[in-house]
Amino acid sequence: MDKQKFQLNSNTRNILFAMIGFGLLSLAYGMFGGPGAKRVAASLLLNNIYFIHIGLVGLFFVTVHAIAESGWQTSIQRVGEAMSAFIPVGSVLLLLLFVLGGMPLLFEWTHTEHLDALLLKKVAYLNVPFFYVRFFIITGAWVILWYFVRKTSLQMDTGDLKYFHRMRTLSAIFVVFLALSTVVASWDWLMSIDAHWFSTLYGWYVFSSMLAAGIALYIILLFLLKQMGYMQHVNVEHIHDLGKYLFGFSIFWAYLWISQYLLIWYANIPEETVYFYVRQKYFPNLFYVNLILNFVIPFLALMTRNSKRTFAVLVPVSVIVFIGHWVDLYQMITPGVVGGEEAGIGLLEIGLTIGYLGLFFLVTFFSLSKAPLVPEKHPFHKESLEYHTNY
Amino acid sequence: MYVSPIREPLIRGGKTYSQVTKDIMAPMAGKPSIYWYIGITISGIAALFGAWASYMTVYHGIGTWGLNKTIGWAWDITNFVWWVGIGHAGTFISAILLLFRQKWRTSINRSAEAMTLIAIACAGFFPTIHMGRLLLGFFILPYPNTRELWVNFNSPLLWDVFALTTYFLVSLVFWYVGLIPDIGTVRDKAKNKIRKAIYGFLSFGWTGSARHWSRHETVSLILAGLAAPLVLSVHTIVSFDFATSVIPGWHTTIFPPYFVSGAVFSGFAMVLTLLIVTRKALNLEDYITINHIESMNKIIILTGSIVGIAYLTEFFVAWYSGVEYEQYAFMNRAFGPYAWAYWIMMTCNVITPQLFWFKKIRTSVVATFIISIFVNIGMWFERFVIVVTSLHRDYLPSSWAMYKPTFVEVGLYIGTFGLFFTLFLLFIRVFPVIAIAEVKSVLKSSGDNKNDTHHE
Amino acid sequence: MSKYITAYYSDEVDLLKGVKLIRSKGLEIADVLTPFPVHGLDSVMGMKRSRLSVVAFAGGAIGAISGFAFQTWVFTSAYPINFGGKPLFSVPSFIPVTFELTVLFAAFAMVIAFFITNKIGPGAKTVIHDERITDDRFLVVVKMDETKSDNALSILKEAGAQGITLKGE
Repeated sequence: MDKQKFQLNSNTRNILFAMIGFGLLSLAYGMFGGPGAKRVAASLLLNNIYFIHIGLVGLFFVTVHAIAESGWQTSIQRVGEAMSAFIPVGSVLLLLLFVLGGMPLLFEWTHTEHLDALLLKKVAYLNVPFFYVRFFIITGAWVILWYFVRKTSLQMDTGDLKYFHRMRTLSAIFVVFLALSTVVASWDWLMSIDAHWFSTLYGWYVFSSMLAAGIALYIILLFLLKQMGYMQHVNVEHIHDLGKYLFGFSIFWAYLWISQYLLIWYANIPEETVYFYVRQKYFPNLFYVNLILNFVIPFLALMTRNSKRTFAVLVPVSVIVFIGHWVDLYQMITPGVVGGEEAGIGLLEIGLTIGYLGLFFLVTFFSLSKAPLVPEKHPFHKESLEYHTNY
Repeated sequence: MYVSPIREPLIRGGKTYSQVTKDIMAPMAGKPSIYWYIGITISGIAALFGAWASYMTVYHGIGTWGLNKTIGWAWDITNFVWWVGIGHAGTFISAILLLFRQKWRTSINRSAEAMTLIAIACAGFFPTIHMGRLLLGFFILPYPNTRELWVNFNSPLLWDVFALTTYFLVSLVFWYVGLIPDIGTVRDKAKNKIRKAIYGFLSFGWTGSARHWSRHETVSLILAGLAAPLVLSVHTIVSFDFATSVIPGWHTTIFPPYFVSGAVFSGFAMVLTLLIVTRKALNLEDYITINHIESMNKIIILTGSIVGIAYLTEFFVAWYSGVEYEQYAFMNRAFGPYAWAYWIMMTCNVITPQLFWFKKIRTSVVATFIISIFVNIGMWFERFVIVVTSLHRDYLPSSWAMYKPTFVEVGLYIGTFGLFFTLFLLFIRVFPVIAIAEVKSVLKSSGDNKNDTHHE
Repeated sequence: MSKYITAYYSDEVDLLKGVKLIRSKGLEIADVLTPFPVHGLDSVMGMKRSRLSVVAFAGGAIGAISGFAFQTWVFTSAYPINFGGKPLFSVPSFIPVTFELTVLFAAFAMVIAFFITNKIGPGAKTVIHDERITDDRFLVVVKMDETKSDNALSILKEAGAQGITLKGE
């Protein structure tokens, strides 16, 4: 029996609240216990960005398939829509982080009295007012586009084809804007942490990381929903395609990782190599763990056809990739904010992420409960139910 | 497999399987048209021009070119990268669109792959001839020798050797394995004894056995899975030729994916240029429909936009980095002595593909043809701007110089056009330009007399 | 001396139905010949999944290992030269060539195996049962001996096949 609408049962809700509570406790521990303000700021930045990105990927999944006129994902796309509900939530939390004292802890360029010659050159871009202008334009547009895409998707439940065409137009706008905005956002929120350093590939590298993490969480969500008795029409074919994405995006991430690393290593210019030098010196294990979790494991584990057709392989690999891209973000943020000596991964870091995960699931499930799980009047709906990957 | 009724058909004209065979094999039968003869005469003359230029280069030396100490690479490498880039579309269509289950690729992949092979040959011509002492060209291969030397595996130029060789061989294999069943069709339809014997040999004894087909599908799929990262790696390694250096405008981490996008961008433009003429000349408009052209144009918007974003990123980060040499490199590109090349590049690459957002333009054959040519012009200038402007004024002003191509260099480039079009014109006479078997396999589901197919 | 009965269909949907029926009646099908790969035919005929992917993986692994090992040997032992201050065992530099050789070996190993296992290749002598197979005919080939021929003919007729012919060799 396929349940048509999602309902958050009290057990699940309690677990999620517990997770959020644990996150809050870890935050308190972080602020008043051992770790200290810098680690707290770094950790909050990591989690906000990580989960906003995952939400954005949910929306990207829906919109990019809309403009590609793809049909197979129709019966699972409401999950992506639901993930995207975190975008406004995460944006507000990120704003709070910046406004309530995060900026001076995270970004050395905010300390305007101490700017050296190089940072002075960048002042036209790296200044607090302009930073906020960009922040509001980016997150504002994300929220507005999210709202309209979601609205149009729900309107498609009437079966009127004019919404199908509107969805395509909105999707094109969102996809183009996402490409530009994630690049600029990565410069502002991540790359400027190491303000003396730069890399033209950075924005795309961050984008590839969020793609892999987003698909990983998509798979995990689908699995959980099936376990709860929903989405019974989801079959091996859908899972196979999601598995292909996880495999492909992981390889794509590794490709961008090696591009960035090899070029900086090869030219050996000190102002560029300092980035990797600091990471390999103070965080050597994480440096290799990053590669193993995000590339070696998904590459080897998902190579065969059958591995991608079963949750038994896909879910553990998704969890590993989810942790892996967390590690990736950690070592993008922490060396610059906290430094090698004081950094660590303890109760604060892990607990806070558990809290955010709980919040993310809560928001996602809430959004899922607001609409039918499957857009049955979608013109590609039948294609999505009766398809085979063929290979 | 169910196909939603709102989708446009991929094959028009209510064809049956035997009509598909007949239509696609028609260009190979009888005498070629007068236009074919005119075409191959022109391309033949161009090729001869290239032969003369090659003789000049090999016999008289690289001094017949416009290179100097400051600008050691110019038209040679620009042309090399341009041709390799064009080749990427064929593999993209064959491999990546196969992995994405895009059925519309079936009527364009055969000619696109052929184009790839020819383009790679044209590309490979340039690094070969720019060596100067061609007789010693085999030095680039790692073989045990009496000089006890090995090649420098640390060098991107050597990585190029491996990348291009692998790319050519794998593309050849992918193209040919796909072609075998269609050669079987040509063999079986041949009436002439010699023709039957030749195609019989080339068909490797293909019988149409279901077991063979099953393995054929597996091989195609795995080759696609191998060719997809391969095509990314080839242009990435080509970009490493520049990005591993310390030259401003060359050393930048975005080059690998930016070059790959640019390659697909220019490649699709060339496929469109070729196929718009081919479909008209060979009466294949029922197979290469407006739908196909529109889909290719969408890929052009996508890849063209990625290239545009890369330009903006490079520009911004050049400023952001605070590195004065990098900043100067970009100012010089836009306002220095080669500014005319830069602005041609910007107009052709950034502005023209954006026109395809308008449905009227992307469904117009004429507009597409014109834009496809502009895209290729723009992408040639992009490589020229990257190579020459970064070299002609880098760190040391006393070394700054200018470059102008000579007649010989122009001749080599025109020669490759001659080679390209001659081989393509021969291809359309010798092999079916559309993958007959693949089109038949989607006829039921995506042709315009669609029935709801139901297997099992 | 082998004998065949061949019969054809003009449509792949009929072919699939026919083959299912023929197999259910216990008649052994030697081969089915089609102008293009028919989806669903694999499972209806009971074909096992090809192991060419294993060959590809093995080829790729050999390419990767030998490529990496060879470069390491050249750079650290046979011809060690300091290129731009890079270490002799410069792993990042070795990756491009290793990757290319992986792909090259995987592709060629698999394609060669493809030709060998199908017994096709330059100069191969194969039987072309019907010249319209590569056009628009879907042929079923049944191997049999004289004693069972009537039974086979009736089953094929029941399965809707046309042009039932007896062929000797």
